[in-house]
Amino acid sequence: MTATSGYFVAGSSWLHRRNPLTKLLALGLILLSAFLLPPVVLPVLAAVIVAAAWSAGLLRPMVRAMRIPALLLLSIVVVNALFFPGAKEALVNVGPLSITREGLTFGFISAGRLLVAFLASVVFLFTTLADDMLEALIARGASHRIAFVVLSAVQLVPRMRSRADAILAAQQARGLSLEGSFVRRIRALVPLIAPVLLGSLVDARERTFALEARGFGARPGRTAYRIVADPPIDRWLRILIVVAAVAVVLAALGVIGR
Amino acid sequence: MTTEGPAEAPLRILALGARYPGRRESSLHDISVEVGAGERVGVAGRTGAGKSTLALAAAGFIPRVVRAKLDGRVVIEGIDAATAAPGALLGRVGIVFATPANQLSASKLTVREELAFGLENLGVPRAEMDARIDTTLARLAIGHLADREPFALSGGEQQRVAIASIVAMGTNVLVLDEPTAQLDPAGTASVVALLRELAGGGTSILCVEHDPDVLGQMDRCLILDGGGAISLDVPGAALAGAEELAGTVPPTLIRLATAASIDLSRAFDEPAIAAGLLGRAASRESAAADRTPAGGQSPSGDQSPAGSQSPAASQSPAASLTWAPARDRPSVRVTVDGLVHRYPTGLEAVRGVSLTIEPGETVAVLGQNGSGKTTLVKHFNGLLRPTTGRVLLDGEATAGRSISQLARTVGFVFQNPDEQLFERSVEREVAFGPRNLGIAAAEIGALVSDSLAAVGLNDQRSTNPYDLDLSRRKLVALAGVLAMDPGVLVLDEPTTGQDADGIARVGAVIEAMRAAGRSVVAITHDMEFAGSHFGRIIVMREGVVVADGPPDVVFAPANRELLASTGLTPPPAARIAALMGLTVVPLDAPGLLAALRR
Repeated sequence: MTATSGYFVAGSSWLHRRNPLTKLLALGLILLSAFLLPPVVLPVLAAVIVAAAWSAGLLRPMVRAMRIPALLLLSIVVVNALFFPGAKEALVNVGPLSITREGLTFGFISAGRLLVAFLASVVFLFTTLADDMLEALIARGASHRIAFVVLSAVQLVPRMRSRADAILAAQQARGLSLEGSFVRRIRALVPLIAPVLLGSLVDARERTFALEARGFGARPGRTAYRIVADPPIDRWLRILIVVAAVAVVLAALGVIGR
Repeated sequence: MTTEGPAEAPLRILALGARYPGRRESSLHDISVEVGAGERVGVAGRTGAGKSTLALAAAGFIPRVVRAKLDGRVVIEGIDAATAAPGALLGRVGIVFATPANQLSASKLTVREELAFGLENLGVPRAEMDARIDTTLARLAIGHLADREPFALSGGEQQRVAIASIVAMGTNVLVLDEPTAQLDPAGTASVVALLRELAGGGTSILCVEHDPDVLGQMDRCLILDGGGAISLDVPGAALAGAEELAGTVPPTLIRLATAASIDLSRAFDEPAIAAGLLGRAASRESAAADRTPAGGQSPSGDQSPAGSQSPAASQSPAASLTWAPARDRPSVRVTVDGLVHRYPTGLEAVRGVSLTIEPGETVAVLGQNGSGKTTLVKHFNGLLRPTTGRVLLDGEATAGRSISQLARTVGFVFQNPDEQLFERSVEREVAFGPRNLGIAAAEIGALVSDSLAAVGLNDQRSTNPYDLDLSRRKLVALAGVLAMDPGVLVLDEPTTGQDADGIARVGAVIEAMRAAGRSVVAITHDMEFAGSHFGRIIVMREGVVVADGPPDVVFAPANRELLASTGLTPPPAARIAALMGLTVVPLDAPGLLAALRR
């Protein structure tokens, strides 16, 4: 994983061939559906995304990318099951705590929504080159600032991760131990935070200078060297997605579907 | 054309001053320099002299991108930078900074697209782009990189691509801020050659640098000190004069040119220096005009490191070093046995290395980027684990011991200090390591004081490390590891970004460690530093050790081709001695002059 390609997995599947804007809109539709529609749609959405990833040959990298988010999702379920405020119906007692029906339900729904969001984002990042995204946004008239923010966001995680690895090594070399109790390990993270953040800021400043020296956003009338493919079917898909998104919002507002 | 007098210089800096918001003192004052078409002007000076501020201003970044108050004017191809319309300087001036990876757009998958990025922003029609890209790649002799991924290139290649992508925009004025600071000798040479090529084509170049070998290739040099200009002359004269004013030691070639009584405009003309010294040796006058103290060490017979006797150490504040081992601890022998390291990507970075580093040995590891130097030394404290083979500390394998446990024995200073500094004061920062080791509080105080004294930062104890400049942040990082009182000290590129004073301090620390029976292993691209502060030189190429011995053996003329095969050259004094046909291999100017007197 490099900063240039981010999570991009090289390939030429039907998902790779879609225009970045089509995929961005589809991602938006999935997020809207997951958070606005009743929870019964969540398994359907998750199944559709997994099937899409499978058809594009991305199942294995997807499972690998979900390892850390899975821990987060699990903790959401556990915390809600045990500590949901105002819960009445206890299902199982665990020592002084009890797993409640309300908490378990809420935990599963929240985790399910996040799961769908993670899965869809991962498929988007796997099949979309950051640079194509940038070009597609600028070609549609997005401001350079917005395009740069999107690009930086896509590159942020790989950059932060490689930096965090280097900092962790430097602090361990100064005797920082990552072993021991949970509290001790959490405390060990403190020496990592400042260098990660400050380093990212310094990095951002230098990269801004580099873009500035190359005149990014300095003049109107930007041209493009590489043409980002936009097959006719993508135009139809985008219309379809926008219509579906409007339907989802209306359904959520209770205008239709009652 | 019948214009009167010479054409106006493409880059004109006129009585320039600059002050950053919130600072009382100005960072630059009254700087005037004009860079003509095809001219290369170097900018040198100690850390904090205002070099980077001048570079930013010359590229039109102040006040448009970086906020600062400007006096005077910067005029680029007739356009005043302070009042230029947005985009007006685009395609006229460009700037390249030190960190190769940060000079690229970070979003392009090929070098070709990277070069296209600037053209897109200029609004160049798509049909014209390929021709312009091909012309630039051919002109700068990097056509072979066209379809490579920018992030997979070496630092030297990345810097050349960064320069090419600015040149492709039709830019006639190029500003560089320490473009070779993070490059290996081969990368530095490639960038220097590229600048010569560009100037030959009429580009005006302003280049901030520390490396005398790079500065020597410029047409003129501007020396800054405390924000003011102290000289502007041909490199030899400017550097010689400046070093006298600043009280540090002039670069080796200038000292030798002075001793050879040749004109300082030829101070970087090595054959001329060699011929001059031979002529003087013949007339047996060498001792009289030598302005260096005569007590230089024997250059060839003495195998001990020259640190304490080198001119840099003896004439700098670092000579008042107070570091000494605060605690009694046994010296440590490092044994590397059949080490192979393969990264998960399949790259075999170390391919079978066996060596022993005895207690008290000082070892410089040289070689090109990617030769396996860092991979090798990262095994000493467990940052990396052998794929096959073993690493032993005093006969005990490192396998099964954590990095933090090994940190009790092996101190490791990383190249980039910003990857380890995090505390709010220098004092707390330096105390972090010893505290992790569980050393008693009273003892930590002494360790911190001694370490800070050794790097000359005892007066900065309560300063936030991030308020210090890069060279002093590197010294804080060094002190932080020194305070752990390691048996073996590993340094990764300790001299990059350091001025002469900083280099002398690092050299003095190495000498003190050696005197205390501790071992030092340093990765460096600075041949003179390696030759004058280390008793043993290891040269790596493609994951194996290709030379291992005392500096005067490794840098001997017989090894010239071996060194060249991995992009290295002997230190300047050894190069001159070889040109003179001497049998001894001196490592610095006093060494060569002493050899001539005998």
